[in-house]
Amino acid sequence: MPDDAPQVLARGHSPSIIPGESLLDPELQQSVILTKVQWVKDWGRRHALWPMAFGLACCAMEMMATAATKYDLDRFGAGVFRASPRQSDLMIVAGTLSHKMAPRLRRLWEQMPDPKYVIAMGACVIGGGPYSRFGYHVVQGVDLIVPVDIYLPGCPPRPEALIDAIRKLQFRIQERGGDTLPDLATATDGDDGHAGANDSGAEAPEGEGTSAA
Amino acid sequence: MADTSDPMANAPAELAAADPVTAAALAAIRAAVPDAVVEVEMGGKHPWIGVTPQSLRAVCRLLRDDPALRYDCCHLISGVEWPAPADGEAQIDVVYHLASYVVRQDPSYRTRAEKNDPFLALKVAVPLAKPEVPTVMDIWVGADWHERETWDLMGVRFTGRAELPRILLPEDWPGHPLRKDWEYPASYHGVPIIPPEGM
Repeated sequence: MPDDAPQVLARGHSPSIIPGESLLDPELQQSVILTKVQWVKDWGRRHALWPMAFGLACCAMEMMATAATKYDLDRFGAGVFRASPRQSDLMIVAGTLSHKMAPRLRRLWEQMPDPKYVIAMGACVIGGGPYSRFGYHVVQGVDLIVPVDIYLPGCPPRPEALIDAIRKLQFRIQERGGDTLPDLATATDGDDGHAGANDSGAEAPEGEGTSAA
Repeated sequence: MADTSDPMANAPAELAAADPVTAAALAAIRAAVPDAVVEVEMGGKHPWIGVTPQSLRAVCRLLRDDPALRYDCCHLISGVEWPAPADGEAQIDVVYHLASYVVRQDPSYRTRAEKNDPFLALKVAVPLAKPEVPTVMDIWVGADWHERETWDLMGVRFTGRAELPRILLPEDWPGHPLRKDWEYPASYHGVPIIPPEGM
């Protein structure tokens, strides 16, 4: 994760001033920032992720601990858990997903406004976990239901790991542009996830190996 | 227990002394509902009595209402599927776990019994091909969800109820997954299911 931070800056989407390349005189560099509208939008988006407040099993305990005072998810701008999918843009699927719950989860995801992101938290959500062999009732991976941006392994993952996942998602949003994440159709069709499917592709940085899901 | 024709004759006196409530329950059943008891296991911490499906409701009502017994709580109902023996048909045991909190709270109970908890299990054996047991929902209201769960997962049909919906799985789920002959569906509502190897 720490390696990603300078990467974002180095792409030239940053408001930071690059010495030697600026055409502005040094006096102006102290008071003027050159950037893109898309960069500012993504900057705002990544620091104001609103997760949806719902948990399916024991991973939700770790998610709650992450949001509570000791780990304080608010430090990263992602601690405003919303009680409605219509106010959320991040779905943390925390816990075992049963076949009975799957249509409900899909409906919640559909009710979230775009752009929206999904973190698959824990072994059960990634591939069925301890239930993947004999658990008749467990969906063998939430990516069969909704497209997943970040896979977070663990059983359950510790709060630090969830923070790491959210930080990775934030850097991904900044790198790729928040508008450009794939919809389900292009994501499930396979190989070349988001490329070409977005309307603002011209503005999005040329991704190298950031294909989702 | 080899000789089940007269369980009380087999039960040692000290066993009855150690567990007077269960012994009284067995005696009351044998007195009130003849031919109900088919098998008895009195030893151990969790004694059980096997009864016929026809007599189940009468036995349950007796155990609940007898002033000396008062089994007022039906802890759980479970099903046990037994494979077919060489000379018979496959069976499902429906097991009722009962407890008497009235007796348990009686101050004299702990002084006269070594066994601390007055628990008793009733077992009803029904054929796997037609697993039907009369409901006890009107005797213990809490049996409602237990019967629904036993139907949901083991496929035991409880008769005499107004309805018997599933409780855990969705209504359109195929079959009863804790049966030994249950097979994994290829998919459920379009979500693929990869069965374990060898199944």
